[in-house]
Amino acid sequence: MIEPQAVTAEEFRRLCEFLYRRTGLVFTETKRYYVERRVIDRIEATGARSFADYFVLLRGDVRGEIEQFINAFTVNETYFYREDHQLRCLTSDLLPERTRLNGRGRTIRIWSVPCATGEEPYSIAIWLLENWPEVDGYDVEIVGSDIDTRALQAAAAGVFGQRALMRLPDDLVAKYFVPLDQDRWTILDDLRSSIRFTPVNLVDSGDTRPHGQFDVIFCRNVLIYFDDASRRVAAENLYETLAPGGFICLGHTESMSRISPLFEARRFGDAIVYQRPREDGHA
Amino acid sequence: MPLIRKDPPDAISPESPGPAIADLASASADRRWAAARTAASEPGGIAALGRALAVEANPRVREAILTALARRGSAEAVDAVLPHLRSDDAGLRTAVLDTLRAMPLALAPYLAGLLRDRDADVRLLACDLARDPAIAGAADLLCDLLARDPSANVCAAAVEVLAEIGEAAALPALAHCATRFPVDPFLAFAVEMATQRILSQPLGRP
Amino acid sequence: MPDATGMRVLVIDDAALVRLYYREALERAGYAVDEALNGLEALEKLLVAPADLLIVDINMPQMDGLTFLRALRGQDGPNASIPALVTSTEAGPQDLAAARSAGANFYLVKPISRKALVEHAALLCGIPA
Repeated sequence: MIEPQAVTAEEFRRLCEFLYRRTGLVFTETKRYYVERRVIDRIEATGARSFADYFVLLRGDVRGEIEQFINAFTVNETYFYREDHQLRCLTSDLLPERTRLNGRGRTIRIWSVPCATGEEPYSIAIWLLENWPEVDGYDVEIVGSDIDTRALQAAAAGVFGQRALMRLPDDLVAKYFVPLDQDRWTILDDLRSSIRFTPVNLVDSGDTRPHGQFDVIFCRNVLIYFDDASRRVAAENLYETLAPGGFICLGHTESMSRISPLFEARRFGDAIVYQRPREDGHA
Repeated sequence: MPLIRKDPPDAISPESPGPAIADLASASADRRWAAARTAASEPGGIAALGRALAVEANPRVREAILTALARRGSAEAVDAVLPHLRSDDAGLRTAVLDTLRAMPLALAPYLAGLLRDRDADVRLLACDLARDPAIAGAADLLCDLLARDPSANVCAAAVEVLAEIGEAAALPALAHCATRFPVDPFLAFAVEMATQRILSQPLGRP
Repeated sequence: MPDATGMRVLVIDDAALVRLYYREALERAGYAVDEALNGLEALEKLLVAPADLLIVDINMPQMDGLTFLRALRGQDGPNASIPALVTSTEAGPQDLAAARSAGANFYLVKPISRKALVEHAALLCGIPA
């Protein structure tokens, strides 16, 4: 059993640097304990005898260790209202800025990509209905996309279990879901049918371009998996599908600074979001 | 219910109305950007992208040209960007370096030559390209450089990379390099750190 | 040795050993040190926490040091005028001129000794010797 102290300060720095260079993941000192725990998990899972041994595996991407490592952090388990600080940022800051500049009565377009089994786009819909005072003044179009077509089918079906709903207050579950059986709920038909789900490979502009331009894009925890060349292409495609002045939100441990210079970083409270510059060159 | 759903448009409008290569010279930055994204698939497109790089002032279009070349990842793409590694424009130099870094397999045959380039700046930038695990023999090339390069800053760049990729075989070259530049304060520190890191690794013991 | 306790430095260089070298020297002199690997990361870090001094290298991925400085100097707000010490391997007059017009306050040619670094940092931060 490897003790946490086995990862020294110097080793932690080297690990963070390597991960940042390779994936764009950002870990600060405040996340140290969290990162160490995951590192220890991976050391044990790979049978490495020490951090130094493990780092050799990671650097060499032996048996796909980089992806394994990333998976340990992004936790593929998804649920409603995950990362709700970004949802708060959406209604407190991003949408007000979009609507202030572009006037009432138009359509607000939001993209969730990858959307996996739909928790994120449905969360956005429920959040807006519950928390955006202006919601009745606009048409809101939410699109969910993923490369995994089975996940999309599940998303379109709109059936969720207890784990997915664990962060939602009971009154919201009662309001927006219908119980299907003891362990599952179906999202209200009105809501379910108002979200469009599409298959998309982010690296293929033939997939992305037909979606038009969005005001806000949520693109969490997927760019970190791409190699350098693919990451650049994906960033370019995302730029193209973002309206001038529109915002893109990455996962909270990701940074655009390793990925692409196309976007400008903006800070709203604790959240960093990225913005496509407006036409005249100012964000 | 304010949520609406719209069906996607039927046809995908073409990204660029004219042949992409011609549009690389368009007065409109948007047209040039669109052209940069598709020109590589036209005959002569890669060379045309390389030529456009020399005169493109708009950073977004320049980025699109380089992304298209990085994506291609061919020897021809490497040839198209390589001359710009010598540019006086720091932004272009480093953008070209980013592009080369994204195509390690195509770049590999060029690395030895870059590490022997007559221009110290090129050699220095090239050291970072040796970091990629896809490039076999990179550590040996860097050790050779440490034995002969006249520039302390170039050697420091090589030491930086060897700290990450070096194994026991690199230790003598590192030690010898420090003796070649006894007055350089940073190099002594860098060699010390690189040596410690290599020794602390499983394959680092001589 | 000037006492810099409480002053915050952001070291911007893509070479890990260079950052470590500067960090040790600056921390010994009492500075609080943060790091960024390129100009984009530096701009992001400055959104979250200001700095009293920037040490900026020129050759970096994603966004080079001069482009970073121009972007910073063009911003509204107090970050735009943070003193910047530019480091470079180039010693020519045109390189110095380019750095100056991008908004550099000082320019040091690598290799840089710890003593030179700390002395110039103190000068830029207005710390008496």
